[in-house]
Amino acid sequence: MRIMYINNVGGGFANYLEIEENTSIQKLFTQKMAGENAEDYLIRVNRQPVPRDYVLQENDRVTITPTKVEGAVR
Amino acid sequence: MRKGKIMNKNKNIIKLSSLLLDAIYELKKQRLRQIQDKFRDFGSKCSFAIKDSNLFYTAVEKNWFRSAEKIRTRVSRSLNDFSYYLQRFKEFINIDEPKLPKLSEIFAELLQLDQDLGEYQFDLKYKTISVITEPITLEEINLGSFEIKLYIERISTLYEHAPYKVIALEPNPAGSDSNVTHPHVSSETLCEGDGHVSIRRALEDGRFCDFFTMIVSILQTYNPDSPYISLSDWEGRSCYDCGYTVSGDESYYCEYCDNEFCDQCSTYCQKCDTTMCLGCASQCPLCEEPVCKNCSAKCKECEEIYCKDCLTEEGLCPDCEEQRKEQENEEQEDKSKKSEAAAAVQSDSMGQTIVHA
Repeated sequence: MRIMYINNVGGGFANYLEIEENTSIQKLFTQKMAGENAEDYLIRVNRQPVPRDYVLQENDRVTITPTKVEGAVR
Repeated sequence: MRKGKIMNKNKNIIKLSSLLLDAIYELKKQRLRQIQDKFRDFGSKCSFAIKDSNLFYTAVEKNWFRSAEKIRTRVSRSLNDFSYYLQRFKEFINIDEPKLPKLSEIFAELLQLDQDLGEYQFDLKYKTISVITEPITLEEINLGSFEIKLYIERISTLYEHAPYKVIALEPNPAGSDSNVTHPHVSSETLCEGDGHVSIRRALEDGRFCDFFTMIVSILQTYNPDSPYISLSDWEGRSCYDCGYTVSGDESYYCEYCDNEFCDQCSTYCQKCDTTMCLGCASQCPLCEEPVCKNCSAKCKECEEIYCKDCLTEEGLCPDCEEQRKEQENEEQEDKSKKSEAAAAVQSDSMGQTIVHA
């Protein structure tokens, strides 16, 4: 099953991703953001907040955006 | 009536989406122009190689071995530069080009922006779109709200400078620099730090909601390792002597009195370079240089403070040293006179004294 996965962490990229059927958003987050706390991110599916047990569907658009980003003097 | 208002709003959002899409196309064009420039460089490097190849051929055929050797050396040198250049060119051209968004996607982004970050403002005349943050408080310092203003026509200049400004609406700037309205904002420019690449990528992809969200996230986060002015110095440091507010970098600590001073009220010891305040420094009356307590001492005679270099080994200032020498000379002279006089008396009474009966 293919979804659009947008990760705004680090390099920030948007790409299609193959995932297993019945993958929940929580499982995807754990796979892609190992060791990270979900509370530090805005997680949207199809531009909407979803419960953690939401099961991803074909062509869903998943966005993960950090809520804590460190600025710096360049 | 209400339906009409909604339709009018949607019409404006479509116009705005169209403007944003044009800007992203222009940005894409700029990116392709960069590739075009690299291609041109690559082409000229190749034409130099062809020229050298022809020259080399002629030199060999005509037995001009010295010329052939010169060309060979030059080509060998150029090949090193060329392989480095080729590697850079490959890296540049292999970066995944962002997929251009559709108008409907930009429209959806703007609707999401409204939903996630509250009502945004846009000015079709000046071609700007702004999001206003909630009041931001970092480590108990209230910095007020900020307006993140994106200049749509400047999106195409993304690779040269940021196309947006971060404007403090109720500014509480740092005490030592009024241009710094947030630890990571100076002169309305945000230093993106860790967010730099993803902010840039969000704009390239036309993900405007992500773009604004990332900037809000930076504004809501304090990185104590790399601020323009740290929050601990936000109010500035007050000079202990004159009370003037200075930044941490411009404040000087006096280790003798444990206080901080501005550059006008501080100095440094000319002998050991220790920083100190003017109150703890002494000016040597002889060399007139400021010195610290460790590098100065009282003259043992007059008790005036001199730098140690201007005191003699006996701990005297030059005046007292001179006086002492004069005194010693006088004493010496006195002693000599007395001994001379004593010697004269002894010579007159040489032999036995006549005693009359």
